Amino acid sequence: MSSIFVNSKDVFLDIVNAKDYVQLDRVSSIYQSLKDSIKKPLKMILLYGKPGTGKSMFLNKLHTDLSSTQSIFLYKTPILDESEFYKTLAQDIFGTRYSGELNFTQFMKIVEKKEFQETPVVLLDEAQLYSDVLMEKIRLLSDTRTVKFVITLHKTEKEDIIAKEHFQTRIWETIELENASSSELKIYIQKKLMKANCFDSANMFTNKSVNRIHKITNGNYRDTNKLLYTLFDLYSLYEKSSRLSNIRTDQVPNKLIEMSAIHTGLIDA
Amino acid sequence: MLNLHELEQRWLRYKIKSYLPYLAIVLSVSVIFLSLFVFLREPSTPITKNITPIKAPVISPKPQVILKPKQPQVEKKVLTQKKELPQVQKEIIPSPRSTNKVILSPSLGFMKKMQTDQQPYYKNEHTNENNDVQIKAPTVTVVRDDIQHVEHPKIETVKKISITHKNTHNDIAEIISRFKKNNNPALSLFVAKKYYELGDYRQAYNYALITNQINQDIEVSWIIFTKSLVKLGEKKKAIKTLKQYIHQSHSNSAQILLDEIISGKFK
Ligand SMILES: Nc1ncnc2c1ncn2[C@@H]1O[C@H](COP(=O)(O)OP(=O)(O)OP(=O)(O)O)[C@@H](O)[C@H]1O
Ligand SMILES: [Mg+2]
Repeated sequence: MSSIFVNSKDVFLDIVNAKDYVQLDRVSSIYQSLKDSIKKPLKMILLYGKPGTGKSMFLNKLHTDLSSTQSIFLYKTPILDESEFYKTLAQDIFGTRYSGELNFTQFMKIVEKKEFQETPVVLLDEAQLYSDVLMEKIRLLSDTRTVKFVITLHKTEKEDIIAKEHFQTRIWETIELENASSSELKIYIQKKLMKANCFDSANMFTNKSVNRIHKITNGNYRDTNKLLYTLFDLYSLYEKSSRLSNIRTDQVPNKLIEMSAIHTGLIDA
Repeated sequence: MLNLHELEQRWLRYKIKSYLPYLAIVLSVSVIFLSLFVFLREPSTPITKNITPIKAPVISPKPQVILKPKQPQVEKKVLTQKKELPQVQKEIIPSPRSTNKVILSPSLGFMKKMQTDQQPYYKNEHTNENNDVQIKAPTVTVVRDDIQHVEHPKIETVKKISITHKNTHNDIAEIISRFKKNNNPALSLFVAKKYYELGDYRQAYNYALITNQINQDIEVSWIIFTKSLVKLGEKKKAIKTLKQYIHQSHSNSAQILLDEIISGKFK
């Protein structure tokens, strides 16, 4: 017998998979403008936001949606070695395989020779891990407009310092992803559960419960996932020990939300 | 593992702790009331008024005659004074502000704030139950070289972004802590690569292994994994692993590496 709580728990595993993407109004309109930007003659698009705001999810979704209609490549892990980076791009975008080293000048020669009807799009996740040198080359490459880059950067308080000049002075677009508002968080939670056919669990999230969750997680998707994973873990434990009658199941009680938050460290106790 | 009982205990302690500030407020409010009451009671004059009539008979030229009817009078007055006491108390409580003693107002404001506590950021957001909630437009900003002045306030934060590059051991530690939070194989692979570059093959091996466990389709991770094995003197194990990987992935780079290991070109 698989309990509804166990099924609901698995919904909140921290996995980035485009098929689990939840359509949220704000996110969808950002998504639409990102798709439009890709068509515009902009050189680079920067997607940034705090950890857990859905940047990687966004890139994955974009890749999945567009890969059937246009040439688009996603690199989830930064390629650190310069030569390896060019070789990978050369192979993926132009279908040319190189053995041995490939430097920037050689790669640029290949790029300049190629003519595309539509600019190929390269998605780079975790761009803060690329070296200064390579980032500069990526920028130069974007300037040729033969390849369009969409890069994600995570922003932390520590890194809230003046940006590198090439990020301010180039023609490009910046898109910020933010934490969810309380109402968005409700939609996020309910849609996620309903996707997995957990309708009863979805109904447990009243405005009151969601507000309490939002207060704890600030609407951060990753923190919310963590919290709800533990929450349904707790529910299934109560169920296993036949103590489910002691707690409410028509709406999520604050007690259980707070217990989950304590367990996951979101509340200091 | 989750322990329901222990967690419930912790929650209880948390709850009690979170009510402590309220308790402190209630306590301090009552202390203030009490001291106010005592303060206002002390200089009260009716007692001295009561005493003067007692003195009067002493001065009086005919003490013997007046003494008898006067004494019950004094007693009466003291009694009435006692009866007035609750009245005095009643008057003080509702009007502490009118006497310009502001001591009470901050705590009252705090209580009010507690009641209407809201998330400051999302005050204007709708809280509809429907899915068709109107949510504010995306914050998209275009930055150009030729435009110094930017209209959108969001740009403030844009300017604040920076790219920090991770090179030293310290920076690796930071990435590891991020990896622990988001379990992103991109990060563990990055750590593996960095350790490999730094010559720490044991750690490179560990992190490549972790990466492979999260996602077994990352070619580079398998390559780092086997390269580290060779460096650690486990050539046989490296060859075996690579062969298995090539069998299921048909990876070219892995094949090249395998040839290099076997021929001794890579060691
Ligand atoms: N629109 C969405 N639909 C479904 N799930 C989402 C959505 N946005 C975020 N998530 C979930 O939130 C979690 C965190 O998202 P993600 O990993 O994309 O954040 P991130 O911004 O890339 O964080 P980091 O800066 O740490 O890399 C993921 O597990 C993902 O499942
Ligand atoms: Mg990410």
